[in-house]
Amino acid sequence: MYLNNFEYFAPETPGEALDLVARMGNKAKVLAGGTDLLIMMKEKMIQPEYLIDINNVKEFKGISYEPGKGAVIGAATKISEVEHSPVIRDKYFALHQAAGELGSAQVRAMATIGGNSCHASPAAETPTPLVAFGAKIVISSVSGDRELPLEEFILGNRKNALAEGELLTQFILPEPAPKSASRYWYIGLRDAMEIDAVNMAVNMVLENDGRTVKDLRLVMGSVSPRPLVSVEVPGILVGKEFNSELVEKAAQAAAGEAKPISDIRASAEYRREVTAVLARRLLQQAFDAAREV
Amino acid sequence: MKQLIELTINNRVYEVPVSPKDLLADVIRDKVGLTGTKKGCGQGDCGACTVLIDGNPVLSCLTLAIACQGRKITTIEGLVAEDGQLHPIQQAYVDHGAVQCGFCTPGMILTSKALLDRNPKPSEEEIKRGISGNICRCTGYKKIVEAIFAAGETISTEGVK
Ligand SMILES: Cc1cc2nc3c(=O)[nH]c(=O)nc-3n(C[C@H](O)[C@H](O)[C@H](O)COP(=O)(O)OP(=O)(O)OC[C@H]3O[C@@H](n4cnc5c(N)ncnc54)[C@H](O)[C@@H]3O)c2cc1C
Ligand code: FES
Ligand code: FES
Repeated sequence: MYLNNFEYFAPETPGEALDLVARMGNKAKVLAGGTDLLIMMKEKMIQPEYLIDINNVKEFKGISYEPGKGAVIGAATKISEVEHSPVIRDKYFALHQAAGELGSAQVRAMATIGGNSCHASPAAETPTPLVAFGAKIVISSVSGDRELPLEEFILGNRKNALAEGELLTQFILPEPAPKSASRYWYIGLRDAMEIDAVNMAVNMVLENDGRTVKDLRLVMGSVSPRPLVSVEVPGILVGKEFNSELVEKAAQAAAGEAKPISDIRASAEYRREVTAVLARRLLQQAFDAAREV
Repeated sequence: MKQLIELTINNRVYEVPVSPKDLLADVIRDKVGLTGTKKGCGQGDCGACTVLIDGNPVLSCLTLAIACQGRKITTIEGLVAEDGQLHPIQQAYVDHGAVQCGFCTPGMILTSKALLDRNPKPSEEEIKRGISGNICRCTGYKKIVEAIFAAGETISTEGVK
């Protein structure tokens, strides 16, 4: 349970951080909350020569919101800050819910939102709602910034689209549409400190009549190597008046799209079943909430 | 390569030689000599190693000591007043029989403190969620939940921090 020897760097500006990342390349690992990284090091899955701690770079942290434009969340922002942010609760409820369900109070105080997407566990909490909001990420390096939709960044279990010398620095969340609402939930073996068997987020926009679905994104986690954006569910519901028959059809379609595996946490069959359960619940909850907006 | 760093623990500054790989839990116990902080699983699951850093509950088994320079660390030893009087949360644990073997207690109390600092009047559900990262193998949690509830009452009526 001990770590290998490494050299430690704690840059204080974005420029210093990017320089270090560029110089040390693959021999270095970025240290954010350490809640995944230090465990992988303790288990000797990786033995980096350098750690670049990004927690002292204040430009990489914090949540800002501009009405009409949306929110920007720094990659090194702690999950607990996301969980307790009034703006996230108000405008991006599904993300507020997911942040509150990640690990324990201690893990949330340490873990960062950037680390959650970079580690790219298929069961991760926050990528699912972030993808449902159509979040983009900013990837920075000494040669500049590039943007990517989050679903193109997460490539599979522990694989992301970062090239050598690059850092994930921001999440950009578009302003929620009028008459829209989002909901997140998960199913695991128990309530607390559980790795999700399935998680899901729904982001729904209604027409002014408060009945017709104008737009919809349903994203599933833990049933595929990366967040799975449903194609069939919007096909069934968008442009239609919301009703329980269509919800049932949509829930079955989501279960059909899921590509779960069997592992120690659940069988593929069970995961498929609860995918339908979650879809049914979340579609209804998002619809009810969107009518109230 | 060891280097000298300064750690501020319970309002006292300690100068300790560390390697970058040294974990805060080990440094607090073995180099500083404050053995109230416990190490259980070493991988984030049990919460026995919880300390407060700038008021936030943090797992010292997954924190590099070298990364804590300039931060304010509080361990269980730091909750007792100078005259030896127990903190209201500690007193509530005693009064409610929330301590058996005691291994989980330091981490549990610091997690309780972080919870009550944010929310002095938590519901039973909020308390259970708040301590979900702390495992106790003895008490069955019931008395711990009662103690935290009572401590919250004391703190909000007496205004103690
Ligand atoms: C007890 C416990 C319970 C947990 N429960 C959950 C849970 O319920 N749900 C869940 O989703 N996760 C859970 N996790 C996993 C973990 O806490 C999260 O994935 C967390 O968000 C990781 O963030 P971090 O800041 O700690 O990342 P780190 O461990 O610091 O980093 C993870 C990886 O990402 C890289 N990285 C981090 N930030 C950047 C960046 N900005 N740019 C480039 N690379 C970067 C690191 O180099 C490393 O490879 C749990 C972990 C523990 C220990
Ligand atoms: S010893 Fe740190 S969480 Fe168990
Ligand atoms: S009192 Fe023994 S583990 Fe909690």
